[in-house]
Amino acid sequence: MGMDSEKNSLCRLQCSYASLDEVFEIGKETYRGQQYSQIYFARLHLMRTLLYSLVSQWKPQTPVCTVLGLEQGKECVIVGTLYKHMKLKPCILDEYSKERSAVPLVRPHNFMHDDDYLVLEDESGRVKLGGDLISPSVFVTGIVVALHGKETGAGDFSVLEVLEAGLPPQIEFPLKSREDKYIVLVSGLNVGSSDSNPLQLQLFIDHITGHLGDEKEQSIASQIVHVVIAGNSIGIPRGLVNGQNLASKDLSRIAEPIKELDILLNQIAAGLPLDIMPGPNDPANFSLPQQPLHRCLFPGSAAYNTFRSCTNPHSFEIDNIRFLGTSGQNVDDLEKYSDAKDKLEFMERTLRWRHIAPTAPNTLGCYPYTDSDPFFIESCPHVYFVGNQNKYESRVIKAGSEGQFVRLISVPKFSESGVAVVVNLRDLECHALSFGTQFSS
Amino acid sequence: MAQTQTLALVEEIESLVSDKLQVVSYKWLSRNYMISSNEAKRLLQEFVEKHDGGLEVVYALSGWLKGSHPSYHIRLVTGPKLAEAQQEFDGNCSIQVYSVQASIPKDPAVLWNAEFIQAEELFKQPWSVDNCLRDNRFCGISSSFVQRNVDGMPVVAATPLTKASVGIGQTKMNVLQPQKNIAHDTIPRADLKSEDVVKDVKSESNGTGSTGVHDQVNKPSEDKEKVVPAGKKKAQSDKSGSSTGGSLASFWGRASAKPKPSSLPVESSNAVSNHSATEDAQASAREADGSGDDDNQDVTVRRSSNRKRRVVFDFSDEDEDVVSLSSPELPKKQSSQDSKQKDNKSSEKATLNSDTKRENKPMAKEEKSSDEKANQPFQEELSVINKCTNNGKSSSEKPQSCAPDISVNKDSTKNAAPGSPKRRKVMKTRIDERGREVTEVVWEGEETEAKKADKVATKKSENNVSTNSVNSSSGPATKKTPAVVNTTGKGSKKTVNKDPKQGNILSFFKRV
Repeated sequence: MGMDSEKNSLCRLQCSYASLDEVFEIGKETYRGQQYSQIYFARLHLMRTLLYSLVSQWKPQTPVCTVLGLEQGKECVIVGTLYKHMKLKPCILDEYSKERSAVPLVRPHNFMHDDDYLVLEDESGRVKLGGDLISPSVFVTGIVVALHGKETGAGDFSVLEVLEAGLPPQIEFPLKSREDKYIVLVSGLNVGSSDSNPLQLQLFIDHITGHLGDEKEQSIASQIVHVVIAGNSIGIPRGLVNGQNLASKDLSRIAEPIKELDILLNQIAAGLPLDIMPGPNDPANFSLPQQPLHRCLFPGSAAYNTFRSCTNPHSFEIDNIRFLGTSGQNVDDLEKYSDAKDKLEFMERTLRWRHIAPTAPNTLGCYPYTDSDPFFIESCPHVYFVGNQNKYESRVIKAGSEGQFVRLISVPKFSESGVAVVVNLRDLECHALSFGTQFSS
Repeated sequence: MAQTQTLALVEEIESLVSDKLQVVSYKWLSRNYMISSNEAKRLLQEFVEKHDGGLEVVYALSGWLKGSHPSYHIRLVTGPKLAEAQQEFDGNCSIQVYSVQASIPKDPAVLWNAEFIQAEELFKQPWSVDNCLRDNRFCGISSSFVQRNVDGMPVVAATPLTKASVGIGQTKMNVLQPQKNIAHDTIPRADLKSEDVVKDVKSESNGTGSTGVHDQVNKPSEDKEKVVPAGKKKAQSDKSGSSTGGSLASFWGRASAKPKPSSLPVESSNAVSNHSATEDAQASAREADGSGDDDNQDVTVRRSSNRKRRVVFDFSDEDEDVVSLSSPELPKKQSSQDSKQKDNKSSEKATLNSDTKRENKPMAKEEKSSDEKANQPFQEELSVINKCTNNGKSSSEKPQSCAPDISVNKDSTKNAAPGSPKRRKVMKTRIDERGREVTEVVWEGEETEAKKADKVATKKSENNVSTNSVNSSSGPATKKTPAVVNTTGKGSKKTVNKDPKQGNILSFFKRV
């Protein structure tokens, strides 16, 4: 930060940036009518090799066998994909059932029921899991685990211990002391929707670009090196997109939010590097991994070299610190089918299962990959964030065989809360950046 | 001196706030008067100190909040609540004047409106203008690594292709001037007509660039639009009618803009000289290839600087008869020939090109061209017809002044240019290297047009007039004016004027 003329007395800091999104881009995949079994198979294969190597250290004496090879009473270890049978989970076939028994759908946002049970499945067969140790409320369909236990007389597999894949290896966190550099995470801007406050958003933009505030504040703002917008940037009125042909005045109503967003992003991109990720409500594809928002949507902003449109999930490296984040679909789906004390716990679980979105493709839209599973986490991130949540929360977890530590961040919806998250790259401390514009008492 | 300036500005602020009841925020102030944000805030501070009462002030407080979790908070508060709000901050918070206004609106977002309108206007300026929105020059932090790529949009001048031809010439000029002024004005408000134009320009930047020729002639847009009527296509050539001038032109122009490197002689040489380099490299090339006649060339030069002429001379091998026949009619400028391009592409192109006079009388031109077409001697038509499916409709496309190029081409053979070389002012629409649709008025030989027509044939769905391949090439209607394009597509020479209306009525019903 140098002191120049009174006009530009501060210089913005810079950082090195590397995008690791190639694995999430669907460019090379071709759809030949395949179904989802292939992605499950790829996932099982990938994680089974990993788990076999872990099992040999975990239970060296116990034999590993397939589901079909289970013998009653014999302790062994089986590895496979979990399937959770849920009574309340909506199924399309219910519409065709002859008898329409009243399905007790009490809570549409969470389909858990006490009668849910888990099943372990591999290529050879499946077996119902019993025992007190494994709680169906914690697990969801799609996780690959290793189970140690034995088959009971009833044909269930009584679980004694569960082995998850655990946190993946992590690159070393650069520890040399450096200056403070900040990265701002924000999500849920919902530009154009009636419940977003444009003044609040403008304050946010003014602050990070250095218009607002006195010298001290602007010097803090000059240390912001990157902004990531984690989804749901556009709030198109839902009533318009219902498949009907639109009158021309409605067409402009749909385009207005995007134009407004482009002007706002233009202001940001003119000042510092910006990543924008698509979210569930954005004009991007529905199934994960969502592809980057098209540059044509942002004619003004896309001209800048600082503007980057990214996939969802988004993985990148700044100054050798690895970030991984999504726009919230994975955690929101987990919340519907399992239980945890807070969103950060869901996030921790996904790291332990080494899979960003285990419920894909079961209940979360996903591309039918044929020979790979891009949601498998190869390398542990240093910062793991999830956007469009209800409130700001953050925690550091230290887990894994190598003592990996991860900063978990739940980024709230900006249009509702007016809160963005600032992460200090030096020590991964983070704080909230909030904006208030209420005038009336 | 700084003080006098300050005083002057303070007075202006006062008048804005009290008289016009506008919300003056520091950002608005800085962009309006080209001062930095910090300066603007200081100014507002002075203003507030001088005017103690009668005005509402909104302050921006920022600082760390009290509380267990570190949280940096920025809040806007009104004057009366300032002290109370300061309590919430842990330690010192910075207080700055955010805005002054006559009264506090109920909805805080109203404060943002004036600023956003200003931002929007800045945003809509022509692509290559580097205004304070785009380079963020008034903030307190300099970011030298930010670059903005303006390569893709070469054109500065906004040529509103789609706008009604009538006003275009003027707007174009306006656009040119304001851009120059912007840098110099102390109050660089970007409220020009150019805004609309800019939009058009943006989408057709290449087009505008390519229509450098137009610049020369001072009729950038008009030509394009006028080109539309040039269509010689049998029936529709004239439809490009004035009404849809611009859009039609662009519609056709696109088609014509995609000239295939035809062997057709295009009298581009003259035109080339006229056009800006960017414009139709292809067209130029083509024309260069085609230009065979000195006469024509000369004529073209005389005629229109913008339009590309088509020189049919190259067709000699194919269209010898035609050539001979048409030669006497050269002066007619058979736009139809142009259109003739082999396919039955809509005559749009033809209509676009030739007939329209280069002068900026878009409407007039179009009609004229149609008239011309109508008046075209049948000989040409015959010859043309012989060669191509296009109706010798006439030279509607060709402006009278154009050297008579009988572009017979069209029809079956791509380059079946009829004997008489005709230059047609064609509205060519092509996709430039950046994938943008560029519409320009060019003089084209039939070959060129024919080729274009071929190319465009597939794209154009509404090519009623098949005569002009060029027109057809303009098929992929400019994105900008889908509606217009449609109308142009249907345009027939005489009914050009009618078509747009019909189109409008239909769309009205559809909406219902």
